[in-house]
Amino acid sequence: MQELTKFQKRLKFENKVASGLITLGGYGVIVSVLLIFFFLVSETLPLFWKTSLEKDFEISGKTPISIGMDDYKELVYQVYENGIISYYNIKQKKNVKYDTLSLSAGEKIISSSSTLEKDEIAFCTDSGRIINAAVLLTPEYSGNSRSIVPKLVNYEDFYGKESGKSLENLAFDKNENGNKFWVWTSEKKNVFIKIFDLEEDLNYTHKLTELTGGTKITASAINAETEVLFLSDENGEIFYFDISNYESPELKSHWKASNNEITAISFLIGGNAVVLGSKKGEVEIWFQIRNENDDVVFTKTQVFENHNSEITKIVPSQRNRTFLTVDKSGELHLNYSTTSATNVKFDNEKKGIKLVDFSPTADVIIVADDNSKIGFFNLQNEHPEVTVNSLFGKIWYEGYSKPEFVWQSTGGSDAFESKMSLIPLIFGTLKGTLYAMLFSIPIAIFGAIYVSQFAPKNLAVIIKPIIEIMAALPSVVIGFLAGLFFSPLFEKNLLLIVLLSVAAPILFVVIISLWGLIPEDKRRKFSNTWELTFVFIAMVLVFMIFWGISEPLETLFFDGNVKNWLYSNFNIGYDQRNSLVVGIALGFAVIPIIFTITEDALTNVPKSLTSASLALGASKWQTVQRVVLPAASGGIFAAIILGLGRAIGETMIVLMATGNTPILDLSLFNGFRAMSATIAVEIPEAPVGGSLYRVLFLTALLLLIFTFIVNSLATYIGDKLRKKYARY
Amino acid sequence: MKINVQNSISASFTTDLSKEKIILETKNVDLCYVPQVRTLTNVSIQIPEKKVTAFIGPSGCGKSTLLRCFNRMNDLIPGISIKGLITIDGIDIYSPETKLEELRKKVGMVFQKSNPFPMGIWENVAFGPKVNGIREKAELDEMVESALIQADLWKEVKDRLNNSALDLSGGQQQRLCIARALANKPEIILMDEPASALDPISTNKIEETIDELRENYTIIIVTHNMQQAARVSDYTAFMMIGEMIEFNATSKLFTNPEKKLTEDYITGRFG
Repeated sequence: MQELTKFQKRLKFENKVASGLITLGGYGVIVSVLLIFFFLVSETLPLFWKTSLEKDFEISGKTPISIGMDDYKELVYQVYENGIISYYNIKQKKNVKYDTLSLSAGEKIISSSSTLEKDEIAFCTDSGRIINAAVLLTPEYSGNSRSIVPKLVNYEDFYGKESGKSLENLAFDKNENGNKFWVWTSEKKNVFIKIFDLEEDLNYTHKLTELTGGTKITASAINAETEVLFLSDENGEIFYFDISNYESPELKSHWKASNNEITAISFLIGGNAVVLGSKKGEVEIWFQIRNENDDVVFTKTQVFENHNSEITKIVPSQRNRTFLTVDKSGELHLNYSTTSATNVKFDNEKKGIKLVDFSPTADVIIVADDNSKIGFFNLQNEHPEVTVNSLFGKIWYEGYSKPEFVWQSTGGSDAFESKMSLIPLIFGTLKGTLYAMLFSIPIAIFGAIYVSQFAPKNLAVIIKPIIEIMAALPSVVIGFLAGLFFSPLFEKNLLLIVLLSVAAPILFVVIISLWGLIPEDKRRKFSNTWELTFVFIAMVLVFMIFWGISEPLETLFFDGNVKNWLYSNFNIGYDQRNSLVVGIALGFAVIPIIFTITEDALTNVPKSLTSASLALGASKWQTVQRVVLPAASGGIFAAIILGLGRAIGETMIVLMATGNTPILDLSLFNGFRAMSATIAVEIPEAPVGGSLYRVLFLTALLLLIFTFIVNSLATYIGDKLRKKYARY
Repeated sequence: MKINVQNSISASFTTDLSKEKIILETKNVDLCYVPQVRTLTNVSIQIPEKKVTAFIGPSGCGKSTLLRCFNRMNDLIPGISIKGLITIDGIDIYSPETKLEELRKKVGMVFQKSNPFPMGIWENVAFGPKVNGIREKAELDEMVESALIQADLWKEVKDRLNNSALDLSGGQQQRLCIARALANKPEIILMDEPASALDPISTNKIEETIDELRENYTIIIVTHNMQQAARVSDYTAFMMIGEMIEFNATSKLFTNPEKKLTEDYITGRFG
């Protein structure tokens, strides 16, 4: 083989480098799109991971009455029936300290009730005494090491008994003002409530037996924040007390909640929802809603998986709406109120469950069984509030009168129930897109037909670049104008705007067709400038006419104010930032896309086809209608689809001009909340790794899939069409 | 009838059209695509009715341009200017009273490259009648059938009238275009090199079709192929650089041309 010359060698090298770089670029694009996709998927997937509960370690010892843990999961306290409190260090695997509750000789603790935050506990003894105490586990720092320092604080104690009988159904809670509430029964039927008002330093004790009618009370729950007391009796009857008037607690209502005896009651975080557990193992959530008669009543809203055995305990989490239910057979369920889901079922190896509680961070569940073993279980339950059903289905949220699609991701307090239905967002995106398309499609397509088929060439070369410049306008500028300039303008001149968008085109067409009355040969003599001038004068004329009549019309037919008239006659509200404004602003962004592609498609219709049509005696318009438009239909469709893709993904305009209200209402006169705008608005509020954060990523993924489908469709149709017309 | 035409390149030529009825006539037609550059210069010709007239000449001689003047397809070109007189049945087709759509209905056209619409066969043929206002399905069916029979295509496509016209072969497509022009019941059919893109067999078929049509239609055909002109036409016009050099009965023009230029061209000395 002949030796390559220097030049040939260089050429070969350059070819290799160039083809390498180009290949790299090509694959790079594909890889980066895939990377984005997989990144979004990987951020989204943890939302749907199953809840897991795994045993970490266990300790042995007597079964305690009460158990707790510090925030750092280093120290465990256990309160035993003899009043001894032991502190167990998890790292050192031994008890490091003991404390004693002062009990009289032979006195035993039989039950306890604590606040949700566990900052204060009430104990009930067999001699009818109620003792309030707090076990404080405070971290102390010396240098780099942290140690948890336990401390027992004794508060008040008092006798709750009436006649030496033992007490049952103790419930205790304390509110943020320091007011305390205790409720208990004696002989299962006499109900007592004691209220301590810190500010007044007054105690109130009331006997409620007359109000409950002396039936056998089976369970009690008290919520100090909402000042509500719930009692249940053996017939499944619920007594609902308002205890906000400390001098006289009031029985607000009572109703039969179940055919079976209710054996456990507990409030969830926030104090609005109450969980009931029955003897037959039913678990239900009730909360107050407004019924058809506008009365506020407690209603059963959620039903959970049946235990098939008597419910003995309901333990709410202090972090979220998770709660544990335990039955007599020793089975434990982990439920989430919003989603009505039972995420974990756990039978503790059939050893039975005496006591169960959450750690303060709610990621450890402590289970004491009948065999003097206390197990510590790690709970992996990052996103219990998100399920496929909660994202796309109707959910009955606390305080709502029926199941609904709601987006309300963040609230004022920890007790806020986040509502993350994507339906209002998807709806918002589609609504904005719909109005934008309604506005832009006719203008863009008629404009493209005019420019490509009818406009004189010198005019077409001006219009095309102008419309292409529209595409270069930053959407933040359009959004700014729409939100701050056009919204108030539209609000002020609503009737004029409606007239201009509906009646004006009709009048305009009528005036323009007058031009057609001039015989063709005479028209031919006028230059294009004349035609344009005529069109321009017609536009100004139409605008002036409607400008002139809109105010008299408003006074004459709409009682002087269209907005009020709409509201009083049709109950249609008018928001300043509404879909009309967005439709036009978003449409403005979409017009150049549809126009440019449609214009290309129309111009690319083979000349031979139009010639054939004209040669057969078809008029210009007949040719456009019967030959050009059908031949370009695929291209026009692709243009519309690409415009749709732009409208779906557009962020700034919808963010600035919609008001971002996540409502499900098609009305032109109120706003919406689009998926893209939601991501932009809420990312700063979403803690990394949190549910909202991941749901926003899911929204982004959905947007990506939407636009991917839309663009692929456009490409597919465009390709098919190109093949069809390739032969001309 | 004998006419004498003064021509700038050469002396007059004589054409014996005494036996013919004249359907189309041009008088001193000048045409400029670009101002001051004449594509047609002083063209005067008479086209006899129900005969086949062929226009021959080297590329760029203006034969297609002249053809397109007859159904005013040139109107679309911006900046064009046409002077002189063109009449059909004695009526000036460029007068303001002439309706363009009427003219084109009367003067059909078949293009160099077949250009069926991307629709069914039936739709293609019915296009002309439809745009000219015929709405009755039965009437359209009849027109479509008769046009296809005349274009010699009926037998091949009668069972698949709804199939796409684009599935036909090249020759069939061109005959479909002829049928499409015939469906309008024109008086004159202009053919702009109708067989130039076809194979010999298809060309032969087109020529047979033209032969059958000559009884009922006036056909003006532009062709590069002199044998084709000789085979199909009754009269032949030879053009060069925008001028009409010679127009005569085909047999005469090919065997005994009056002009040296014509002789040089038909014997292949240039062109």
